[in-house]
Amino acid sequence: MNKFDVQATKALLDKNLITENQFQEINSYRDLNIFSLNAELKLFLYLSVLLFTSGIGVLIYNNIDSIGHIAILSLLLIVIAVCFYFCFKNSKGFQKAEAVFENPVLEYLVLAANVLTCIFIGYLQFQYKPFGTHFGLATLIPTLVSFFCAYYFDNKSVLAIAITGLAAYVGLSVTPQDLLNNSNFYEDQTLSYSAILLGILLILWTVYSTKIQLKTHFNIIYLTFALHIISIATISSLIDYSHNNVWLIFVAVLAASSYCFYKLSHEYKAISLYVFMIIYAYIGVNISLFRIFESIDFSDVWVLFVMILPIYFIGSIILFIKLIKTFDKETAV
Amino acid sequence: MIVYDKNLLDNLALVEEAKSLQSGGFISKEQKDLIKKELPAFKRQSNILVRLGFFLLGSFLYSSMCGVISLLGLSGEKFFFEICCYIFAAVGFGCAEFLAYQNYYEHGLDDAFILGALLNVGFAIGISTDGSEIVIAFFVAAAALILYKRYLHLLSLLACCLAVLALLFFGMLELGDVGKAILPFITMIISAVVYFVAKKTITNLERSYYYKGLLWVTTFCLVVFYLSCNYLIVRELSSELLGTEVLPGQDIPFSYFFYAFTFLVPTVYLIFALKTKDRIMLWISFLAVGFAIFTVRFYYSVLPVEIALTIGGIILFGIAYFSIQKLKQKETGLTFKPDRINNSNAILNAEALIVASTFGLKPEVKTESSMEFGGGGFSGGGSGENF
Repeated sequence: MNKFDVQATKALLDKNLITENQFQEINSYRDLNIFSLNAELKLFLYLSVLLFTSGIGVLIYNNIDSIGHIAILSLLLIVIAVCFYFCFKNSKGFQKAEAVFENPVLEYLVLAANVLTCIFIGYLQFQYKPFGTHFGLATLIPTLVSFFCAYYFDNKSVLAIAITGLAAYVGLSVTPQDLLNNSNFYEDQTLSYSAILLGILLILWTVYSTKIQLKTHFNIIYLTFALHIISIATISSLIDYSHNNVWLIFVAVLAASSYCFYKLSHEYKAISLYVFMIIYAYIGVNISLFRIFESIDFSDVWVLFVMILPIYFIGSIILFIKLIKTFDKETAV
Repeated sequence: MIVYDKNLLDNLALVEEAKSLQSGGFISKEQKDLIKKELPAFKRQSNILVRLGFFLLGSFLYSSMCGVISLLGLSGEKFFFEICCYIFAAVGFGCAEFLAYQNYYEHGLDDAFILGALLNVGFAIGISTDGSEIVIAFFVAAAALILYKRYLHLLSLLACCLAVLALLFFGMLELGDVGKAILPFITMIISAVVYFVAKKTITNLERSYYYKGLLWVTTFCLVVFYLSCNYLIVRELSSELLGTEVLPGQDIPFSYFFYAFTFLVPTVYLIFALKTKDRIMLWISFLAVGFAIFTVRFYYSVLPVEIALTIGGIILFGIAYFSIQKLKQKETGLTFKPDRINNSNAILNAEALIVASTFGLKPEVKTESSMEFGGGGFSGGGSGENF
C-alpha cells in the first residue's frame, strides 16, 4: 500500500473536507489490507477464451480436409452445448435492464460459446453449403445468434461481434483495425452510402431502445460504432470525390452527424464520443479548407502560408480548450 | 527544482484521493465535487483521449513553429543546419517553461513541447558529433533527467531510463569482446542495485512529488533485470554482437544459468508480488511468464501452434477458475472481491474492443469459401482507444 494515500486522507480530514466518521471507516477498510485479484483473474478467463477459440479456429482451418467432418462438427457441437447448458442453467432469464451473472466465469463461457457457434456455422457453410450461394445468410445467422446471446445474457463483447456481423452483412468490415486502416472504401466507393445508412440505423435503434427502456447501457457501444462508421465513410468520400461537387453532400452529412453526436455525447456524458466527434469534424473542416484554396497557386504565397500556420494551430488549440471546458461544465451538473 | 506551485501539487493529490474514495463509495459525489471546487487546481486533462488530442495539436504547433524558424534561417544554409536543432530545442524548453508558469500540468500540450525538446536535443547532439551513440545517450539522459526533475514529467523519466540503458550498452561495446561477453551480467547487477536503491528512497520519501517517478524506475529495473539474462535475449544478442553461431548439439556458454534464470525469475517475482502485495510486480511476473513460454517456443517447437493455443487456453481457464473458487469466500488479504479503493478495472473496459478486433466478422469474398474468421490472426492488439 502507498503511504501517501493514507497521508492524503488525513489531509482531507485536517481540512475538514471529510468527516471523522468517514475517516474512521476508510481507515478500518484499509486495515483489512485487501489485495484484490479480481481484474487479473477475469483477464485470465478472458485470455483463456481468446486462446482456446483461436486455437480451435486455426485447428479447423488447417485441417479442413484431413480430419473427418462429422468428427469435428460433433466435437464442436458438444463443446457448444456444454457451454450453453451452463449459461442457460445459471441465467436468470431475459431482463430488460442490466443484468450480471453471479459467477463471472459464465460471462466468458457465453463469449466462448458464441464464438464457437460462429466457427461452427462458418465450417458448416464451407463444407456442406446449407445456404447454397446465399453468402449473406451465412453471415446473417451468426449475427442473429450473437444478438440473441448479447441481449439474453447481457454481454457487451458479444454485442460487439454482433455489430461487426451486421456490418459484414452490408458488406463492410468494421473491425477496429480495418476502420483505422480505412481499407473498406478502396475498391468500392459506393459502400460509403451503405455505411452511412448503417450508422443512421444504429443511432435510430438506440433512440428506440431508450424509448422502450431495453438494455440502455448498450447504447454507448452502438453509438461508438455509428460515429466511427459514419465519420470514416464520409471523410474517405470527401477525399475521393474531388472531381465534381459531390463532396459538398458529404460535407453536409459530416456536419449533420457532428451536430447529432454533439447532442448525443452530452446526453450520455460520454467524452470519448465527444472527442472523436471533434477530431473528425476538425479533419473534415481542414479537407474542406484545402478544397476551397485548391485553386490558388501556392508557389507565390507559400511563405505567407508557413507564417500563418502556427497562428492557425494556436487558434485551434484555444478553440479545443474552450470546447473541452464547456463539455466538462455542462456534464458536471 | 520543481517549477510548479507545491500547493497545487498537494491539492492534486488530495483531489485524486477524493476521486478514488468516491468511486469506493466512502464519500458522496457532492462531497467530491465540493472538494474539487474548494481546492485550486492545475489545468490538467485526466482523460487520456483528450490528453492525446492536445498532444497531437501541440506537436503540430511545435513543428509549425520550427517551420517558421527554418524559413527565416534558410539563408544561413550549412551553418543554420548545424545549429537549427539547438534552436528548436531551446524553443521547446521555452514553451514548456511558459506552459508550466501558466499551470499546465499533464495536459497534453506540455507533453508535446517537453518530448519535442528532448527529441531535438538528441538530434542536435547527433548532428554535432556525427552520430556518436555514447555522447547522444549521455546528453539525452541528462536532459531528460532535468526535464523530469523540473516538470515531474514521467515520460521524460522513461526516456532517461532508456537513455541510461543505451549508455550502458554502448559503453560496454566500447570495451571490446570482454565487455560484450559480460554485458548481461553487468546489466543484471546494475538494475538490481538501482531497484533496491529506488525502493529504499521510496520508503524514506517525505513528500509525494517524486513517488510516482521512483515507482516507474523500480518497474523499469524489474523489466530490465528479467530481460538482461533471459535466454532468448542473451543468445540472440551474443550471435549479433560476438558473431558466435550456435551449432546443433551445442549451446551458449552458461546456458544452464540462463535457462534457470528464464524460468526462476518469473516465479520469484510472482511469489514475492503476492507476498508483498505489489501489483506492478505481479503484472510484470505475468508478462515474464508469457515471455518465458515464448522463449521456449522460439527454439523448440514442442507442439503445433493451434494445439498449443487450445491447450494453453484450457490450462489458463483451469488456473483462473480454481483460483476464483478458492479466493471467493475470503474477506481480507488476498481476495477475489473487487477492491473498493484501488481497482484496476480499466483494462477490462477494453474487452469489447479487443473482442471486436479479434473475432469481428468480415464480409465474405464472393468467389469461394465462407467468411474469414479472425481466428487466424491472433494479435489482439486492441489499442483501447474507443472506450
